[in-house]
Amino acid sequence: MLKRLRSKLVITPWMVWLGLMGVILLSGAIAGIMVFWKGLGITNLTDRVPWGLWITIDLSSIALGAGAFSLCAGVYLFGLKRYQPIARTATFVGLIGYTMATLALILDIGKPERFWHSMVYWNTHSLLWEVTMCVILYLTVLIFETMPILANLEWLRKRLPKIASMMERVHHYAPILAIIGLGLSSLHQSSLGATYGVIKARPFWFKPEMSVLFMLSAIVGGISLTLFATMLSSRLTKKAKINDVLIERVAQFVGYLLIGYFYFRAWDALSTTYTYDPGRSEGLHFLTKGPFAFNFWIVEMLLGMIVPMILLLHKPTRMNRFWRMVALLLVAAGVVAFRWDTNITGQLVLMSYIPGAAITYTSYRPSLIEILSGAAIIAYGLTAFSLGVKYLRVVDHSLVETEHETVKVEATEPVRV
Amino acid sequence: MSQKTLNRREFLKLTAVGVAVAAGTRAITSTKASSNAPKGKHQWAMVIDQSKCIGCGYCTLACQAHNDVNPDIQWNKVNEVDMVAGKHVFLPRPCMHCEKAPCVEVCPVEASYYREDGIVMMDYERCIGCRYCQIACPYEARSFNWEKFTGENPAVPEWGTPEVERRPRGVPEKCSFCYQRIDRGLALGLKPGTDADASPACVVVCPTGARIFGDLNDPESNVSKALRENPSYRLRENLGTGPRVYYLPAVPAKEA
Repeated sequence: MLKRLRSKLVITPWMVWLGLMGVILLSGAIAGIMVFWKGLGITNLTDRVPWGLWITIDLSSIALGAGAFSLCAGVYLFGLKRYQPIARTATFVGLIGYTMATLALILDIGKPERFWHSMVYWNTHSLLWEVTMCVILYLTVLIFETMPILANLEWLRKRLPKIASMMERVHHYAPILAIIGLGLSSLHQSSLGATYGVIKARPFWFKPEMSVLFMLSAIVGGISLTLFATMLSSRLTKKAKINDVLIERVAQFVGYLLIGYFYFRAWDALSTTYTYDPGRSEGLHFLTKGPFAFNFWIVEMLLGMIVPMILLLHKPTRMNRFWRMVALLLVAAGVVAFRWDTNITGQLVLMSYIPGAAITYTSYRPSLIEILSGAAIIAYGLTAFSLGVKYLRVVDHSLVETEHETVKVEATEPVRV
Repeated sequence: MSQKTLNRREFLKLTAVGVAVAAGTRAITSTKASSNAPKGKHQWAMVIDQSKCIGCGYCTLACQAHNDVNPDIQWNKVNEVDMVAGKHVFLPRPCMHCEKAPCVEVCPVEASYYREDGIVMMDYERCIGCRYCQIACPYEARSFNWEKFTGENPAVPEWGTPEVERRPRGVPEKCSFCYQRIDRGLALGLKPGTDADASPACVVVCPTGARIFGDLNDPESNVSKALRENPSYRLRENLGTGPRVYYLPAVPAKEA
């Protein structure tokens, strides 16, 4: 008996992975309980920097979840049906991203027990209201969109076959869900940028490009993360079955998108160098020469855009799976850096209300509690994705035919290169 | 692909677009593109005369006592800003009660709102604590309750007694022009700005009379007269927020 148990207790990399995630999740859960119990006083947030690490995680996970709407729109609305298996992965990544964002927000708001107020009391002028509404509605869409994926759970198929097949049938509504998803995502992804863009009191943020940049970076980063996660899982487990040709084609598309994103980001930043504009010029200085210079030039511009642009548009490096994965990960990291830089820089430059007073600066460094609970949110996302790959066939490019009954896509159809 | 499938998809697309257009049109027509404070019978405003302010900070203390404010938080902050002709110049900053208040615009749940008389109010029971209003306020007029204020209020009873409830942990708070004193005063037939019992605590306590309070709708009120007779300015006027707090500069405009 004991011998059998011991023979079963072989430590696999999977168990190590789950154990590691478990530790992070547990410490984060304790940190989270501390926050709810003691309040936000135990964070390093202040009246001058009220939006910190958690908001950045929130912004980043919404951005990196954007692969779902972009790829679903491509597959179901623009007729790129052969990419359906990638859209399937993206939908699952999207669901994880949006639940991560919700978790971050619940931690961040001072009155988490009143979160439902945003659904009941409407201020239609508020961009944050619009974002909240869209996120809630889109999360609902994502749940419907992932139902066919969740139906893959062995246990559900065996125990409740009727429910499983019902969930699978939701797939027939994929086109209509894609329309709603595209609408809601276009709204809140750009409104998330406008949340900052309408704040006249802070000239560093106050510009219409904010929405464009948030939208573009979300599409670029969201698709990249989905592709990276897909490729990584296929390296780590046999459960993930991929059709590399599909990934390679989408990766090339990301390369082209990066040109657009780079153009807007660079032009947006550099166009503010021409005249001195109180607050805005100081913010730009922070980015280009100050404490955020490394983030801006190296992480965002060089590693986040230029390097992956070359790696993804240059055919030999794109065809090489290793370099393609590096490029895709860099893009996602660059988008996170963009969100962090934008959120924090705008708050560190203080415009005084006193006439003629000089501009001052403040600082922010997340506290241990913020870092632990933030890490747990990320660990939740990683755990959920790896479980999905293992048990829900989230990354499985051979699934196309069986699921897609009405549209009749042939999975084996060769992709023209 | 069969003709039938195509038709159904086309139909679905058209229906979705149609519904979206209809809903969008409705939303746009029923929504005011932007909000403004409603204009009621009274329009309260404050005038702060910087030539009279000596920076004693009594206003802050009286405010903390009457509104039961945490000593770490100042609804009314007195800044030393300058030296003019060998004299210190101060700039006290309450909430500006903007005519077009960024905090009201951005609040996702309408916890910040305009009263008929122009006062920008906070509904502390509705606020979810997202702090977007703090991000948006150009005057740093809002302070968040990072912790619950539990201890004794050191400003009480020397500077007054609390007239409103303490705010809970997790919501931002700010100056309310002592709305409770205005409302009670009006109910008793008093005139805010003239009668002490109907005026904000900071106005009443000011030893030099640097603060004037009153109704902009009444041309004979103290504020209307002060603004008519003196040059005045408002803070960050270029933002178009339309503050209801006016400042009379310490030196006449032409000399400055």
